[in-house]
Amino acid sequence: MDFKKLLLRNETALIVAIVLLSVIIGAKSPEFFTLANLFDILRSSFVQLLFALGVLVVIISGGIDVSFPVVGIFSGYSAVVLMKHFEWNPGNILLPIAIAIGIGIALGALNSIAIASFGIPTLIATLGTSGIFRGVMLTFIGSSFISDIPLALDKFATADLLKIQPLEGTLARLHVLIIPIVLITILVSLMLNRTMFGRSVYALGGGVEATRRLGISIKRTQAKVYMFVGGISGLAGILYVSLQRKANPYDLYGSELDIIAAVVLGGASIMGGYGTVFGTVLGVLLISLIKGNLILLGVSGSWQRAAIGALLLIGITVQAINESRKAKSRRVSTRDEVAQ
Amino acid sequence: MNERFKKINSGLLADRKVTQLMAITAATFIIFSVISRDIFFSSANFTSMAYQIPEIAILSIAVMLSMLTGGIDLSIVSVSNAAALVAAWIMTNKMGDSDTLSTSWILIACIAGILVGLAAGAVNSIIIARLDVTPILATLATGTLFNGIAIGLTDGVSISGLPEQFMRVGNGTLLGIPTPFVLMVAIALVVGLFINRTTLGLKVFLVGTNRQAAQYSVMGDRRVIAWIYLISALLSSLAGLIIASRTSAASPDFGSSYILLAIVVVVLGGVNPNGGFGTITGVILATAVLQMVSSGFNALRFSQFFYLAAQGAVLVFVMILNVVLERRRVSRSISRSLRS
Repeated sequence: MDFKKLLLRNETALIVAIVLLSVIIGAKSPEFFTLANLFDILRSSFVQLLFALGVLVVIISGGIDVSFPVVGIFSGYSAVVLMKHFEWNPGNILLPIAIAIGIGIALGALNSIAIASFGIPTLIATLGTSGIFRGVMLTFIGSSFISDIPLALDKFATADLLKIQPLEGTLARLHVLIIPIVLITILVSLMLNRTMFGRSVYALGGGVEATRRLGISIKRTQAKVYMFVGGISGLAGILYVSLQRKANPYDLYGSELDIIAAVVLGGASIMGGYGTVFGTVLGVLLISLIKGNLILLGVSGSWQRAAIGALLLIGITVQAINESRKAKSRRVSTRDEVAQ
Repeated sequence: MNERFKKINSGLLADRKVTQLMAITAATFIIFSVISRDIFFSSANFTSMAYQIPEIAILSIAVMLSMLTGGIDLSIVSVSNAAALVAAWIMTNKMGDSDTLSTSWILIACIAGILVGLAAGAVNSIIIARLDVTPILATLATGTLFNGIAIGLTDGVSISGLPEQFMRVGNGTLLGIPTPFVLMVAIALVVGLFINRTTLGLKVFLVGTNRQAAQYSVMGDRRVIAWIYLISALLSSLAGLIIASRTSAASPDFGSSYILLAIVVVVLGGVNPNGGFGTITGVILATAVLQMVSSGFNALRFSQFFYLAAQGAVLVFVMILNVVLERRRVSRSISRSLRS
């Protein structure tokens, strides 16, 4: 592989940024480089990463979804409410996860109807449905905070894969979720690169008309994309509820920007047609590094939002400048051909 | 008789969308007046509506202008809060312990607030018009950045206790009409004149209808877009000042729900989200409809989240209706041309 090309890739820049930031934070406060802190950063990125994978697929397809955090908390909260209402208390966590994913897919299907069947611009459609979902949840399903969530979910919050007690300092705990999350990440990557559906998502983002002429159904692909986002957001929502050990219907709302920022920083093109799972993973890590450790740098926590906004702004600006440079060089090369 | 009807028809009623909206406005008014005769149909309610409509209407006009060019401005609320915060900060600092402040200092504070808003708008203009970043993401990012800076500087605390003269603007009356309402009418007239009677206004519609055609006609499409985001920021700052003077406070997280509301208003008002079509009359009527729905729901003691769901539903429903009507119109005109 061309070394210069490798250097210019978005992923390389992200790795450099993450390493630099880690070194700076680590130099300021040595407790950053402990296993406990590393595991904490991982734990806080699980839910974010799931959401980000969903958003990545939407952004590759050329759309944007701002309803996914609401879909997530709707699914998680409703699953808990359902289980409490019917007094289901199974030993394992599979039932709530299945319920939440089901609800998520159903909500995603509503987005699909608005976007695929009626061709409403994606931002406007999802903005509208996010209002509907949040309003319906808080009016009809419940608006109170549930702290005694079903036992299986509660227990899952402390299910650790391994515990390491260093000679000094705090106990480092790696949550068992690391395995399914890694698996899902690999699966999404395979889905995007190796399946017909994944390739049609890239094609759709590259150009709608060209995709239609390839014989790929635009509507069916779009519908699948938004149902996929719904399902994965439902999963993220129930895991969020479990990890927090409480179901608060007001949570997650407003976090859409952090996730979109992570995906865009990860190199996904906002115009659609380009994006990698690896870049998204790095983007999520960078954002949670900043969110969790700004305080260690001596910056007040109230600057978090500004930092994310600035990062997102830098990310999209760099993308746009690269894009216009590419377009210019293309124009120059065709002019040369004409001259010859 | 027929001729006279045609004359009326070619004037105000020529625009089908505005006619529809007038019918919707009247219907909403009658329904709520009948259901809740003593609370909704009271002068107290109408007065309070006249104080609440202006801020939403002005923010919606700002969104409408950006939508006319085919973009969208999601940073309106952040910009209006930034302007209000700067003005409030100057006023409270100058006031010290006294309750009043000289009129000239209030004016200076307001101008400083507007200048900060314009600076924010200039950032939007540069990023969108100069660097060709997609407006949705650009303004999402700048909105977060401005909001983040405001939170960082104020630590998330609101500034309250503004001078009495300043509050009189937002709470007083001019010739018996609430002052904010008068300001709104003035702003609507000026913006209406701007988009309908000036060259720049005409160019706005051209850029929104067909950006490529605008580019080929060498009319400076970038400059048009740059101006629009500046004007949008100016209107947002004015709305921010009106909100501050009505509530006597400024806060970085005020009115975050206004973004959805403004987009609902604009879409309901018949503005085409892809650019090129929209009227000020439509936007003002749509604001009135939504404010009546909000007040009506209040009178019927529905929760605010039910109103949120209704907003989302109105947005999605109106978009679907537009698509369905458009499809029918197209198929009808095709069959008509086939017949002849």
